[in-house]
Amino acid sequence: MKGPKAIILRGTATNCDIETFNAFKYVGAEPELVHINQLLAGERKVPDYDIMAFPGGFSYGDDISAGKIYAVKMAGLSRDFAKFIKGGRPVIGICNGFQILVKTGFLPENGANAQVSTLYTNDCGHFIAKWTKLKVNKKSPCIFTRGLPDEIELPIAHGEGKFIVEDKKELGAITGRNLHALTYAGNPNGSMLDIAGICSPSGTCLGLMPHPERNFFSWQNPDRPAAAREAEAVGHQFFKNAVDYVS
Amino acid sequence: MNDELSKFNSLPPKELEALDRAAGWSLSALELAEVQRQFSGMGRQPGRGELETIAQTWSEHCKHKTFSGPVVFRDGKRVRKYKNLFKETIVKATRTLNRKWCLSVFTDNAGIVEFAKSGKWGLAFKAETHNHPCAVEPYGGAETGVGGVIRDILGVGLGAKPVLNTDTFCFGRLDRKYRLPKNALPPERVMRGVVEGVRDYGNRIGIPTAAGGLYFDDGYLLNPLVYVGCAGLIPVDKIEKKVVPGDLIVSIGGRTGRDGIHGATFSSANIDEETSASAVQIGHAVNEKKALDVLMRARDLGLYNAVTDCGAGGFSSAIGELGAETGARVRLEKALLKDTRIEPWEIWVSESQERMILSVPKGKLKKLAAILDSENCEYCVMGEFPGDGRLLVTHGEERVVDLPMAFLHGGVPNFEKPAVKRAVKFNSKAPAAPKAWGRALKALLAHPNICSRHSVITQYDHEVQGGTVGKPLQGKYGDGPGDAAVIWPQAATLDLKDLSGFAVAHGFAPAVGRLDPYQMALHSIDEAVRNLLCSGADISRTAILDNFCAASPRDPRVMGDLVLAAEGCRDAAIAYGAPFISGKDSFYNQSKDADGREYPIPISLLISATAPVEDVRRAVTINFKQAGNPVYLAGASLRGMGGSVYNEISDTGNNAVPALDMKAAVKLYAALAKAMKAGCVAAAHDVSQGGLGVTLAEMAFSGGLGAELDLAPAPRGKGLTSTELLFGESPARLVLEVVKGREREFQGYLKGLPAAEIGRVSGEPRLRVAGLFDEDIAGLKACWRKELI
Repeated sequence: MKGPKAIILRGTATNCDIETFNAFKYVGAEPELVHINQLLAGERKVPDYDIMAFPGGFSYGDDISAGKIYAVKMAGLSRDFAKFIKGGRPVIGICNGFQILVKTGFLPENGANAQVSTLYTNDCGHFIAKWTKLKVNKKSPCIFTRGLPDEIELPIAHGEGKFIVEDKKELGAITGRNLHALTYAGNPNGSMLDIAGICSPSGTCLGLMPHPERNFFSWQNPDRPAAAREAEAVGHQFFKNAVDYVS
Repeated sequence: MNDELSKFNSLPPKELEALDRAAGWSLSALELAEVQRQFSGMGRQPGRGELETIAQTWSEHCKHKTFSGPVVFRDGKRVRKYKNLFKETIVKATRTLNRKWCLSVFTDNAGIVEFAKSGKWGLAFKAETHNHPCAVEPYGGAETGVGGVIRDILGVGLGAKPVLNTDTFCFGRLDRKYRLPKNALPPERVMRGVVEGVRDYGNRIGIPTAAGGLYFDDGYLLNPLVYVGCAGLIPVDKIEKKVVPGDLIVSIGGRTGRDGIHGATFSSANIDEETSASAVQIGHAVNEKKALDVLMRARDLGLYNAVTDCGAGGFSSAIGELGAETGARVRLEKALLKDTRIEPWEIWVSESQERMILSVPKGKLKKLAAILDSENCEYCVMGEFPGDGRLLVTHGEERVVDLPMAFLHGGVPNFEKPAVKRAVKFNSKAPAAPKAWGRALKALLAHPNICSRHSVITQYDHEVQGGTVGKPLQGKYGDGPGDAAVIWPQAATLDLKDLSGFAVAHGFAPAVGRLDPYQMALHSIDEAVRNLLCSGADISRTAILDNFCAASPRDPRVMGDLVLAAEGCRDAAIAYGAPFISGKDSFYNQSKDADGREYPIPISLLISATAPVEDVRRAVTINFKQAGNPVYLAGASLRGMGGSVYNEISDTGNNAVPALDMKAAVKLYAALAKAMKAGCVAAAHDVSQGGLGVTLAEMAFSGGLGAELDLAPAPRGKGLTSTELLFGESPARLVLEVVKGREREFQGYLKGLPAAEIGRVSGEPRLRVAGLFDEDIAGLKACWRKELI
């Protein structure tokens, strides 16, 4: 049986596309790297895929603000994207991918696809790369975090990861429905309510700053005994859940 | 200037020199005379573009005249002569070892060794310096340094995929007050600029920066050193490149502007108040990422016959090198420009960044263009490689260069340089014990050359590509100092079942170099190999890079340092069976301060080493893992405090440099490698700056565990004092945590070798060394964990 088709979207300076591709392949999907130019030229079509991933990186150099230029490029196909995302097919935006989903207004989800939040420069004022402990919101409808333990560890690597929303109403819309699927145990960037990742109300679209593809195998962890543990680490679950959901 | 140019061939030496200075060529009197002779022979005056081309091609940066020139070395009455110092030391070691896993050495933009056992891949490795630019404009200098060395990897063979960046920096001390000359930047500013430059470039282009070091010394106040390295994977059938006559010259990536005019020649000059920041290029990481993405696709489709990067000298060097045999016909008006106020000769020598030159068969241009367009990467067709051996560069009707290639790449005149051994007085008296051992250890842990580098490391994305298995920050809390980066290049091989990787580590010991440059080279190679061993790499297949930085080679003492260090490199490489595969050198790192005092840097040799890791799951980390496990010290501790950090914080008066016993070290490491492969070792960490005390403290607090130790059984040289044992920095030593229950097996591997159990890991968070100190690990860590930036 063929696995579900996963579109791994890239553009200039999308840097985590290949490891994200590898992760989806490992869990049985059929991933394909697709440049946004290919979609815009009509060489590839959004509805032809079952799963969508926006990998990390510095798309278009993070110029203007992280993810903004990619979001603008997507505008020409916003109907296709809206249909895919709101239609309930799994979508994951990691780091720069989360920034793109926020800048397009797909996350947090709202009727008008308006941008109601942003990922702003970290409180420390610069890029940080380190491992962080995260709390998994067990009440969240998120399909990607299903079956994870209460607390997990993933690395972050971003300069603009401070999640802030417009007003209390929007924040309430997130917490009231448990859309904050992941929160930091020690807030590294100043995010509101320690939010590290949010999902759509249906739980099928997740945006998160930490990198699950970097804690996919046990040997990617900095605290490791010399003897190998079980191969798969917590990050693996995110990708497997997506494939299980559509299979 | 045009006036002088029109009568160049008949200018007297003084006027020639003045012209050279005004134009910024940095050619010597001998070289200028040779140019006059050649053009007189041709019966015409040279054009500006031709003189610029010669200055670039013959520059120290491109030709490495000092290192590959003749030297006469005097040590008292003893005299040694070299016709080509580089060939007779560095290259000689590689030729002597003649390892068949070395796929390409010294000839291309980087060295290449076999990667893993599949036989499909080569590992390309290169390190560079970008010192002069970083002194003048730290942020831009560091960015373009990183960009440049990445392009070396993109431009090796038919292009390798970069999977690791390394960086090692040397700055003036941050904790001292200096009187700086006008225009000189204080070390905090240089450091901040350099770190931010490496961060912004490396992170944007998506290559993990995961190995390197930081070193502070007065000697680097006015001449910071910025070593940047890159490693990449290349299919073995893509290592050969050959320009075919008739191929098109295609430039891809960035546009050409007036930034970086004279960068190559500028690196042969001492930095002074007149140095211009316009010699420094402006970086744009995203353009390089586009070129990278295009190259990897086009390479696999076989769309070009050769590639090289535009580095020092810009088009003139890149096209000149590619066309060395075929000649080149270049039309400068075709170049894409970012500044239209540019002179034709400036287009030819500009070092604007992110440009790669491809040699493309005419029939494949269309396919290549489609890929370039799909990645939004700009390009221009600048001419062709004709096959007549002539370099003809025009701009519209204007003839900018018209020379035979043989002239450019042949006759660089070289002259013999005198070298002498520095007079150093050694004292090997027994060092006094510190008043309080614990307090001395804490002072060492807090020393800028030892304390935590986390505030710098965490600004780099050291885990992009998902393959950084051996991390710069490791251990229970992800903050202990790793010895080597271990990379699992899944983003290049795309094969998750292939668990082979490689380790990269460094050795650097300029404090030893001030006393004994020969031992410095030995210690540095030993340290690099030992670091690789600690990570679990197969050190029998170590390959190394040499990066020499020195002050002005016009000073015979500086040349003496270089000769001794190069001889040390040769001897150690042969003894350790570790061939050099590539290298680079940088001279004239010397400046005056506000009071006119000369600040030459100490002889600074960075050894970068790589070795395969057969199975990345078995890579070893430094932190203590399990209470009850026995702790071993391997390697004999020798007398001598010379070059130690301890001597700096509390001068013992003993400056003797421990002489490395290379044979003993090689034997010991081979045995340890076997024990590690068998899985007897839970943690390993080298003894380096700060000595054994620092190594033990780092292993303890990185694992959140203590240790109960007694150093009495430690193998040692005759008459060794406790100060030398605990705080001396004699080489070839490491501390190992052995898995409980496997001591016998471990001892079996080490039979007859200098290694002894010195205690056990303990669950109580205290580091106790019998008779010397008993410290809480949290207190030790607090001293060590400083915010440098």
